[in-house]
Amino acid sequence: MSRRILIIDDEDDIRQVAALSLETVAGWEVVVASSGAQGLARAVDYQPDAILLDVMMPGMDGPSTFRELRKNPATARIPVLLLTAKVQSTDQRRFADLGVEAVLFKPFDPLTLATQISTVLSWS
Amino acid sequence: MQNQQQPALAGALDTLWAKFLPEMNQRVAALESAAKAFQEDELSAEEQEEAHAAAHKLAGVLGTFGLTRGTVLARELEMMYSRESRPERAMAAQLAAVAAELRTIVASRK
Repeated sequence: MSRRILIIDDEDDIRQVAALSLETVAGWEVVVASSGAQGLARAVDYQPDAILLDVMMPGMDGPSTFRELRKNPATARIPVLLLTAKVQSTDQRRFADLGVEAVLFKPFDPLTLATQISTVLSWS
Repeated sequence: MQNQQQPALAGALDTLWAKFLPEMNQRVAALESAAKAFQEDELSAEEQEEAHAAAHKLAGVLGTFGLTRGTVLARELEMMYSRESRPERAMAAQLAAVAAELRTIVASRK
């Protein structure tokens, strides 16, 4: 089943590799945003099936963006998966406590990223 | 599905690597520059922050392009240039050596 994913990440290389991965391997439709603010607008406009959200971004970071997504009734129910290069357990616990569906780690394997997302969200 | 798409994905990743190689090299250059400044006892707080950010970005992306060792080394440098502390003087040679190995790893991917 085709899915629509919103990727919010300020790093152009990560954004493009993730988009390539999800489009090529899974055939999903991908919409991208390069900042938290842009991501909030795209989430409202495109109503994705899930959001892949970077943690460390200038301005509005991932956790702040997540809280804004949850405040808005138009985006409050969209599943959010955080994407982070932080591997320390304290950071992981802090992110998990936010209430996101999952925390995925950079670097990810482009061949299995779609499977990771599908598994977490129980998409068959 | 994954096996069928693997060749197409690999080719597209190679294209993206070529596109972003200048950025990868810039990040490695920031690490080399920081290591040199540290050896000369001239590493500013701003340079340390730049080195930390460059290492963090490399750690997050190199493994995605198959350079797993690059991610491990970049993580080491990210910790060494941590915002919370200055690198220890004894680390000076290590900072330079790890940056040099990163340069080799980045240059090795075609």
